[in-house]
Amino acid sequence: MKKSLFTIALCLLLTGCLSEDPKGQLTEKDAYATAAGVELHLVNNLYNYIGGNQDSQGLMGTPRGVYDFNSLTTDEQMLPIRGGDWYDGGFWQRLHTHQWTDSEEPLQNTWNYLYKVVMLCNRSLYKIDRNRNVLTSAQYESYTAEVRAIRAMYYFYIMDLFGRVPLVTSYSETPETTGQTERSATYAFILNELNAALPNLSMERSNYVGANYGRVTKPVVWFLLAKLYLNAEIYADDDWTDAHRPSGSGLFFQVDGHKLNAWQAAIAYCEKLTAAGYGLEADPAKNFSVQNETSAENIFVIPMDKLLYANQFLYLFRSRHYAHGSALGMDAENGTSATLSTVRAFGYGTENLDTRWAMDFFADTVSVDGKVVMLDNGKPLVYNPLEVRDNLTGSPYEQTAGARMKKYEVDRQAYSDGRLQNNDIVLYRYADVLLMQAEALVRNGDDGSAPFDAVRARAGMPLRSCTLTNLLTERLLELMWEGWRRNDLVRFGEFDTNAYLTVFPIPQNVLDLNGKLTQNKGYK
Amino acid sequence: MKRKLLFLLLMSEMLGVSAVAQTTIPQLYTDSILFGQKGSADVITRDRMNKGLVGTPLEALSGQAAGVNIASSGADRMAMLSSVRVRGTTSLTGGNDPLVIIDGVYSDLSALNSIFPADIESFAILKNAAETAPYGSRGASGVIQVTTKKGAGNHFHISYDTNLGLESVYKTLPMLTAAQYRSEVARLGLTIPDGGFNTDFQRAITRTGFIQNHHLAFSGGSENSNYRASLARMDHNSIIRLHGSNNFAAKVDLMQRAFDGLLQIDMGLFGTSMQKDNIFDVQKLFYSTAAQNPTLDYAPKASGGWDRNSQASQIVPPGALLNEQDKDKLLNFNTHLRLTARLSKDVSLSAFGSYSYNSSSNGQYLPTWLWAQGQAYRSELKSEDWLGNLEARWSHTFGRHALSALFFAELQKLEQRDFYTTVKGFTSNEFGFDNLAAGSLRPYGGTGSSYENTNTTSFMAQAEYGYRDLFTLTGNIRADGSSIFGSGNKWGFFPSVSATWDVLNTLPQMRTAWFNTFKLRSGYGLSGNTGGIRSYNSLLLLNPVGVISWKGTPATTFGILSNANPDLKWETRSSFNVGADMGFWKNRVVLTAEYYYSRTRDMLYMYDVPVPPFVYPQMLANLGSMSNSGFEFGLGVTPLQRKDMELNINVNVSFQKNKLLSLSGNYQGRYLSASTVTPIGGLNGAGFHGGDNNIVYQIIGQPLGVFYLPHCKGLVKRADGSYAYDIADLNKDGKIDLSDSGDRYIAGQATPKMTLGSNISFRYKNFDVALQMNGAFGHKIYNGTALTYMNMTSFPYYNVMAKAPAANITDQIASDYWLESGNYLNFDYLTVGWNIPVQQWSRYISSLRISMSVNNLATITSYSGLTPMINSYAVNSTIGIDDKRTYPIYRTYSFGLSIQF
Repeated sequence: MKKSLFTIALCLLLTGCLSEDPKGQLTEKDAYATAAGVELHLVNNLYNYIGGNQDSQGLMGTPRGVYDFNSLTTDEQMLPIRGGDWYDGGFWQRLHTHQWTDSEEPLQNTWNYLYKVVMLCNRSLYKIDRNRNVLTSAQYESYTAEVRAIRAMYYFYIMDLFGRVPLVTSYSETPETTGQTERSATYAFILNELNAALPNLSMERSNYVGANYGRVTKPVVWFLLAKLYLNAEIYADDDWTDAHRPSGSGLFFQVDGHKLNAWQAAIAYCEKLTAAGYGLEADPAKNFSVQNETSAENIFVIPMDKLLYANQFLYLFRSRHYAHGSALGMDAENGTSATLSTVRAFGYGTENLDTRWAMDFFADTVSVDGKVVMLDNGKPLVYNPLEVRDNLTGSPYEQTAGARMKKYEVDRQAYSDGRLQNNDIVLYRYADVLLMQAEALVRNGDDGSAPFDAVRARAGMPLRSCTLTNLLTERLLELMWEGWRRNDLVRFGEFDTNAYLTVFPIPQNVLDLNGKLTQNKGYK
Repeated sequence: MKRKLLFLLLMSEMLGVSAVAQTTIPQLYTDSILFGQKGSADVITRDRMNKGLVGTPLEALSGQAAGVNIASSGADRMAMLSSVRVRGTTSLTGGNDPLVIIDGVYSDLSALNSIFPADIESFAILKNAAETAPYGSRGASGVIQVTTKKGAGNHFHISYDTNLGLESVYKTLPMLTAAQYRSEVARLGLTIPDGGFNTDFQRAITRTGFIQNHHLAFSGGSENSNYRASLARMDHNSIIRLHGSNNFAAKVDLMQRAFDGLLQIDMGLFGTSMQKDNIFDVQKLFYSTAAQNPTLDYAPKASGGWDRNSQASQIVPPGALLNEQDKDKLLNFNTHLRLTARLSKDVSLSAFGSYSYNSSSNGQYLPTWLWAQGQAYRSELKSEDWLGNLEARWSHTFGRHALSALFFAELQKLEQRDFYTTVKGFTSNEFGFDNLAAGSLRPYGGTGSSYENTNTTSFMAQAEYGYRDLFTLTGNIRADGSSIFGSGNKWGFFPSVSATWDVLNTLPQMRTAWFNTFKLRSGYGLSGNTGGIRSYNSLLLLNPVGVISWKGTPATTFGILSNANPDLKWETRSSFNVGADMGFWKNRVVLTAEYYYSRTRDMLYMYDVPVPPFVYPQMLANLGSMSNSGFEFGLGVTPLQRKDMELNINVNVSFQKNKLLSLSGNYQGRYLSASTVTPIGGLNGAGFHGGDNNIVYQIIGQPLGVFYLPHCKGLVKRADGSYAYDIADLNKDGKIDLSDSGDRYIAGQATPKMTLGSNISFRYKNFDVALQMNGAFGHKIYNGTALTYMNMTSFPYYNVMAKAPAANITDQIASDYWLESGNYLNFDYLTVGWNIPVQQWSRYISSLRISMSVNNLATITSYSGLTPMINSYAVNSTIGIDDKRTYPIYRTYSFGLSIQF
């Protein structure tokens, strides 16, 4: 009897009944068996992460991520407490008053998000290498270049936010932790990677629907390089807590075989973009319209299509008043507002109201479909730009204070309360290029009027002298809601008098998990 | 003969005296389980099951077995399903639901709940490793063995049982009435949209609930064959309008003997069809009913839609919320066949096979009044489960020595497929989810399907030695192989041993006039747990990540969505138990006591890993350990026992202690750990989004689910006369830090340290009265409901509690201010029954009983919220936190009739 049992047992074992047969998932072997598979799943797959649909995921569009840390920490915009709303444990207040801690969960999630993409890039490079046999050498060169450029772009955000960071460039199934690299070394790495990738990238525009839609192409990298050279004084500085920083005129780089200082290098890449046909749209609103895929001005965007992509844009939804949302047939969160200094910079309430005010903000009474938006109590909704305060609880303007975000045309066919809209989210655009060029010229001791005037003139505003002060103001006026304010203020030395606050702390949890890391100077 | 005696003894111990049917039709599979559990399995026979209005088997069991926690049915009857814990939580990732075995077929709590209580003969609760060993990994979190009624003897029986019950709300939150609300608004000089109504939304969404059960059973047979067939129907309109559930069950069992008793064939068929109309978002509904502006109308406007209180973004018109649909349809079909051959006096063989088919479909519709463009969702999950096992038994008695052995092999295959789709863009709310074509938009990610299969193979050998029924020693070794683990780690080996000793019968000199029973038992064993993880975790697989534009057209890309761990293996639990049964005064007083200690090792958990170099911040791995220990006492007293009168008092008390020992260890040479302090539950609602609103944590060195909170020294008066919570600077660093790593301390635990179940029954002639009380002690509850509704900063957009304006707190920092003791004693039900004498009609009627019951009679507690009976057992984001999601409290008044022909 025992014998028969053993026979049964053996039969059961031999059927291989414990192996798994996953029918709904793909093995790596199958996925990377062809060049198309490698391109799709190892290169293009990375573009899923530029935008996002969850908190802290994506470079723009979602809350509590890169954008909020670059915007709500500045004099540009804020999230005031409105009675029972928006206290949220004091998080928004800590951003606004520069009292963030190393335990902010969104900060840790942002770190994890940015490094996730870096590690996915490293993994892609590793897998492309191992599947090189299915690729032609041209394919190998271009796929590798594109992934390296994406990785460099993410290191730019990581370095900009966190300063001294671990520079991980390889992938392993059994990975090891590494320590930090000085900011200047990470900076040099990013520049090298972008320059190395450039020759093998496409020349095409990335913001046009087509084969290169949403991809990192040459113009995108040029924009990044211009930005990186313009901020050279910051990124080449390893101790940002002392009063000293290197001079851009004394930092030299190789650009197309020429040795240029930081400002000249920035200018060179701005000029390349002009030469490539980028220009200002006569109507700036076109860059943010529902169908903004044909903008001559946008350089790099997050493709949005409510039926195709999961990317979301929460900022309009987060900003507008409930009644305003209702009038549009959407919900709303009644939050983000322009700060008082922004409202004043636009000349609100004065005779010299900037022409971009109407495009950028909902203020005063608001109409939808020709009808004034009414509150529950039968009175019209009136946004009061000048009543905004850190804590509006108890104020008669608790729910209505603040000029609200506009800029993007409201997509009336959007769903999820407008979070799934068709307007592509603008990450990089040409107006910024002109302002960067003007600034680099001024900083290099030259006249930046030409590019500066172009931006002022397009806005229909009287020309101003091209000084650094006017440039910083102009960047606020032109690039309102676009996520660059922290970067600008740090470069102009106006972010915070405590210089250590110009980078965020390494999240405590990250330090706990990797003993080789140390906290940024000034924190704890 | 002796063998048969032993067998009968075992059976009577297993099933209690009322198990009439079982003595004539032994079931080999279940009786093989008797090895190693002699006298220690807690068997709940019909006598001990709850009376009163009992709609589901879990309600019949609640409070009756020490160490088994079932959330009381005070609120959501369906929520009970996820709350059953046998001796607490032993695994972090899952797999904490006890295994349910219905007549030998592996099942789950949801299937158990679809059986009609009147079809159940008995429950056996297996808690110790030696008892659960025969079930290997599946039984790691305890086993609830259900024996259903079978046909019996030579007589036919027809029985009909019914229960009719009314449910009536008796307690809601004391919010400001419309009149109080208006006067407060006026006093504070505020303006609000006054809809002109006086609405109590909490009452408006409720109604008198109605529940009815009908159960009809036929049975009969002869010496060599018998059958039992039953049909049951349950219909429940819950106290919340438009919501409820119903269930239909049919069951047939057949037994046939052949070849002069050499072969016995048992076959069973069981099918149920259950429908549930769930509340789509429980918290949103009860938050909205409590906080909605009471001057608005409950009913929709004539022009369609509801009056909105649009400043209050976190709540919506309750009337509209009730129209959100979330309907489940669960179909379950199950059949099993057992062939038992008694080859000789000593040897028997049995083969068992079963097949289960489960279909669970869900339909949701979120109307355009609440969700821009509306949303419909349909999903179907179908699973098929094949199980086959072979068992050989040998037993022999050599004089005073009894020996037996058992070999067992089993193969189980589970296959699941699911499909779901989401549609938006509705222009009409007429169709619900019944016409998806009525929606115009199908967003990415809204449609999908999946496939999953798991295979498990097991072998077991068991041996038992017995000496004159005085001592028994049982040894067990089991090997389980599961497909879900890494290739080198598929097999786990789980041995166990146990022993029993009848002390008084061995040493008769200890016996006294008042001390007549004393038995000891002990066991030690290992069991494995798959920790509730899913298939394919150990494989490097690519999943759809999203759609991107590729060569100008949209394309789906595949990538990795988690860190893979090729080394996943079994989570193991070792447990030890020792216990005693004592009887005094001719067993008029019976006392049982048991101590247990268990330790979970190689605990499956999502451990934190550093990013970089890892891609994702967490990885599933086997590290860490946790311990559970406790004492369980049962006391049965029969102070009065006469022909016409009997009084029984049963009390069971469990003390449970859980400790998370470690969440770290080495994985591939790398030291991994998880945060020492990890939040598991927090508050939701206006102003509670993210940031320092975590309440319940998992902390190493502490029980799972502890309150880790800032300390509030009291209220401080602000310049404007309002009050704020005065938070203590616990770490004395000069600033108040409310973050997870800031000024917080461990303020108590969410799981009860002690639970109590008590039943008092009294019989006088044909009348009987039974009172059931359940209690839980030593734990705390966070009253997030009061924190929210006492906060005047949200007024008037959100309504507040009646006493909030006087208290004038304008703060909603979560601190220990609203942490309260959770101790309670609940009077679960009181039943009065009358067994009507039917001698004069005995030709037709063999018994007739009517009863009246009140369920959820009263609760004694110091807790200030609606009820302390919230989730205090299942470790998830709601444990220990009363946060605006508690149902209105209701009582049930019911009438029962039971008639047998």
